[in-house]
Amino acid sequence: MFWISKTIHYLSRFKRRTILFFAVLGPGVITMVADNDAGGITTYTVTGAKFGLHLLWFLILLGPVAYYVQEMTVRLGAVTKRGHAEAIFSAFGRFWGWFSLSDLVMTDWLTMITEFIGMTAALSIFHFPPLLTVVICWLIMGMMIMSGRYWTWEKIALLFCAINLIYIPAAFMVHPSIRDIAYNSFVPHFPPGGFTNDLFFLLMANIGTTIAPWMLFFQQSSVVDKGLNEKEIKFGKADTAFGAVLTVVVAMVLIIVSSKLLYGLPIEDAAAAARQIMPTSSIIGTLFAIGLFDAGLLGAICISLASSWAFGEVFGWAHSLNQKVREAPWFYAYYFFDLLLAGTVVLIPGAPLVLITLFVQVIATTLLPAALVFLILLLNDKKTMGEYINTTWENIANISIVIIIIVLSTMYGISTLFPNFFSIH
Amino acid sequence: MRLFSNIVQNIREINHRYEKPQIEMTPFVKLCLLVLRLYLLGLVGLLIFKFITTWKG
Repeated sequence: MFWISKTIHYLSRFKRRTILFFAVLGPGVITMVADNDAGGITTYTVTGAKFGLHLLWFLILLGPVAYYVQEMTVRLGAVTKRGHAEAIFSAFGRFWGWFSLSDLVMTDWLTMITEFIGMTAALSIFHFPPLLTVVICWLIMGMMIMSGRYWTWEKIALLFCAINLIYIPAAFMVHPSIRDIAYNSFVPHFPPGGFTNDLFFLLMANIGTTIAPWMLFFQQSSVVDKGLNEKEIKFGKADTAFGAVLTVVVAMVLIIVSSKLLYGLPIEDAAAAARQIMPTSSIIGTLFAIGLFDAGLLGAICISLASSWAFGEVFGWAHSLNQKVREAPWFYAYYFFDLLLAGTVVLIPGAPLVLITLFVQVIATTLLPAALVFLILLLNDKKTMGEYINTTWENIANISIVIIIIVLSTMYGISTLFPNFFSIH
Repeated sequence: MRLFSNIVQNIREINHRYEKPQIEMTPFVKLCLLVLRLYLLGLVGLLIFKFITTWKG
């Protein structure tokens, strides 16, 4: 009889924890899936077209990297009940505060433009004019926040995350070799040809897309807006881990598809990849284009919110998705201003869109190291974190990861400015 | 005009509120902030160099 009562106890505990997990599920998954934005989709597609399946192992390694960094924002948000921008102002003073806020605004705005570029390119495959695409995006993003409930916004965002998984059926349709996938996933090696400039640039690009500055600000603010507390940190961590798995799966699937259908072709971006795939398989090409549009939309939603939350926190405006437009007018005004400005730039004939895409990486390079260093310092501040301070193991893992990200993303930023700076002869 | 003066007033308040860093300024924190400043100066230097070479070229 004892084992029956014990089993019932475990089952009810499991049920309770599962319900709690699904209640907390949101910020981690949304941040991680949105990380595979229009720029990310392009990076993975180009990686697969250039190097086939050979870099799958590298992408798997990026999953834990993203998890360890983002997990810190969950703890910081749940313990301090402050967004990242406010936490930086409070802990490091006005100089670093203004630096971070202004850099975030610039990076986010430029990244938003790249998302709109991705979305207009994706829908142009279905003969949608750019103006119509931009207006559709504005309407979707406007309607998402009009309910005045964080819960509603989050569920719609999770739906867009689910659409991001549209690439998975595409991978099955190209009939990849399971043996090749398994080998390339678990045996680290360089592609034939060795360590070349192209390989080096793509490795850096993949790292660069794994952690973006907006992700730190967005996840911490969404954790605060959702109202997560210290007791729910473990579920927040599970949410982040689940998101990290999803982001790696989508990245792997993209590499599998592009390695099978686009290997050796000079692919410049994901929209060009979708166009290239269309004659071979219209279904896969269509899935690719829908996925690209969804990725851009999800990225734009999160990025514009990251900036609005940051401004609201620092300027002391009402800044919650649980407030209606009339209750938090400045918060929503900034959100719409960001959207309108980014969308309009894409519509300007002759706008330097390629230059903007390159410049994003350079500007992000100036903000990311600072944001990551602040994160580590705050997580080690006993006064701020109390018992949730970083453990020795967490510090070893987090500091190593942060150093690697800073070095590689800096190299990526510099090589964007000076393409031959790290030439391998 | 009123909006502009409100924003300026707001920025003054923020500067006053966050005048002093709240984090404990241990030698490690000070070192990190110094390295960050040098890193950013280096990057700005590279950006200026790129701007000048592009402009001249």
